[in-house]
Amino acid sequence: MEVVAQLATAWLDPWLLALTGIGTLAGIYVGAIPGLSVTMAASILISFTFKWEVDAALALISGVFVGGVYGGARTAILLNIPGAPSAIATAIDGYPMAQRGEAGEAIGLTTTMSVIGGMVGVAALAAFAPALASFALQFQSRDYLLLGLIGILLVGSLSGESFAKGVFAGALGVLIGMVGLDPMTAEGRFTFGTVTLMGGIHYVVAMIGFFGVAEALVQLHSVDRAAVKQRIDRVIPRLRDVRRQLGLTLRASGIGTVIGALPGTGGDIAALMAYDHARRTTRHPERPFGQGAKEGLVAPEAANSAAVGGAFIPMLTLGIPGDAVTAVIIGALFIHGLKPGPLLLTDTPDLFWFLVGNLALANLFLLVFGLSGIRLFTKIIECPRAVLIPIIIVLSAVGAYAIQNNPVDVYWMLAFGVIGYFLKVYGFQVGPVILGVILGPMMDANYRRAMIGARGDVGTFLVDFVTHPISLALSTALLLLLIAQIPGWRRVFHRRPPADSG
Amino acid sequence: MSETNAPVADAAAGDQPDGHSQCRRRPGEGVFLLVALGFAGWALVEAYGIAGFTSLSSPGVFPMLAAASMVASSLFVLLDVRRRPPAGASGWAIAAQFVRHVVPTRHVVVLALIVAYLVAMPALGFLASSAAFLLLAFLYLWRRPWWQALLLTITLTVAVQVVFRVVFQVVLPTGSLGLTLPGLSF
Repeated sequence: MEVVAQLATAWLDPWLLALTGIGTLAGIYVGAIPGLSVTMAASILISFTFKWEVDAALALISGVFVGGVYGGARTAILLNIPGAPSAIATAIDGYPMAQRGEAGEAIGLTTTMSVIGGMVGVAALAAFAPALASFALQFQSRDYLLLGLIGILLVGSLSGESFAKGVFAGALGVLIGMVGLDPMTAEGRFTFGTVTLMGGIHYVVAMIGFFGVAEALVQLHSVDRAAVKQRIDRVIPRLRDVRRQLGLTLRASGIGTVIGALPGTGGDIAALMAYDHARRTTRHPERPFGQGAKEGLVAPEAANSAAVGGAFIPMLTLGIPGDAVTAVIIGALFIHGLKPGPLLLTDTPDLFWFLVGNLALANLFLLVFGLSGIRLFTKIIECPRAVLIPIIIVLSAVGAYAIQNNPVDVYWMLAFGVIGYFLKVYGFQVGPVILGVILGPMMDANYRRAMIGARGDVGTFLVDFVTHPISLALSTALLLLLIAQIPGWRRVFHRRPPADSG
Repeated sequence: MSETNAPVADAAAGDQPDGHSQCRRRPGEGVFLLVALGFAGWALVEAYGIAGFTSLSSPGVFPMLAAASMVASSLFVLLDVRRRPPAGASGWAIAAQFVRHVVPTRHVVVLALIVAYLVAMPALGFLASSAAFLLLAFLYLWRRPWWQALLLTITLTVAVQVVFRVVFQVVLPTGSLGLTLPGLSF
């Protein structure tokens, strides 16, 4: 009964209800407007909302998250520009539909299936997180170290141009996270004797720099790109279509939830895998894949929405963010003094159930906003980058300043923005950097605890990694991940014909 | 202009699901990687300076591991890049390409505006400096008449000030000159 009350917190409190609604609506636009991203918006919002009650801040941010993941599909369909990486697969069949004048139908169908996928993800979060949390109580320090390493390396290997670039970006993030006084011994690390650096570099400042300013600088390249106008009519999907696609939607949601729950993989991989699944299992699509098959639209959208709930599972129970967006959300939890991990569910069950209820509510808002307000929407996404970029810069500056009221943070933000710009230009991803900043201090503390536990003996330390079942499983996963990156092995791996070559 | 920029911009957007290595070096890539390697090496020395090899659980071990990973990975990327043909025939050609594709005039101007904005903020306060920055940036980037840029700037500045002070209750720098909107200086 208590759980039901906690679940319904966001539904019954008018203020939280409104914030979730506003967040979802704003998220749809943020995700849809090329040049704005969910990570950018969530990073900036964390600093604006950190004085709020934790419930209110999370209501707004999770609304933006849910709306943003979905919003990327809009521009993928209308402009063939995926508003977010998770919408890449959506563009393959969505854009051909729009070209045929069926944009409204495509949007209606993606909205409905995204909501179903989102609900499946939330249900999985409610069902599996408590069990995983009690299992995670058995995790030792070295297991957390391994989980952190796997998370950073997976994000690094899957999102960037090369594994080495992912490692560099992740390690850079870890290094940024190390700056300041060591929490165990209070010795300064990379402080150079200055008081300014003793408090460390705030992770939100790094997030705003890498996701806000750097992205704005990249967008400067395409400031002249003209906005494409689109006409949209019918949005409410036909019941026949919904019924026909329901089976695939549920399967894709399952894929999305599992992929989202794995550390290092998020909505983008989930969507691509679900698209591949749809291609292989659909015998007679109405239209061929790549030319506007509804199956090719439904599967990735259901999967990337389901991945949101999935991604919350390791984030809340282990404290390991699965991708860049959840790394930002974990930052939001940290700033409110919460420690995501196995104890979160036992110490603050109300917060967990509030989040579950809130995500479900955001999905409901998604259905409402997704199927209405299309006219206004087409006007807003025509907003030119020349207007957006200066606004992003001002919001980033306020965000970086507001977090500690420290003018120095604003310069850090600019520095990270410039570094992030060059990293992006030369094919490095900034996602692993943020994961490194967030996970670095946790991994450092766990490494040292594990080493102290082994009495500083390397032999004992290493043997522990293979003699305990959980550690052994995780060490094996890490080893496999590393072996898969060896060039020779990759060549063997790549010689196999790709599954979607049909 | 935007067409010539497209390859760098697209690569820079980084939205490809599983990016493939480009055939040619990007202009300035080698220099960037050398700087990255230099930074990683310096970080390694600094990390060693924290506690040396005194103990395996000292505060310096993890920073050393991170810095060493950066040295190794940047070396790896550098070797990979050196195998590919350079971006241009001569150093000058590459420099010209670097300027055109990586830091074109537009980037230099906008970055200069951002730096001026951030430096001016402590003195002018958030309101005046943001308004000035927005106006100049719109005038430069947005090909519309000046009064439209001015109108948008005024609307946005008022909106941002109201939203931040009232909804988010963020403390914005008022500046040593104390410029602010009447009624909102609380």
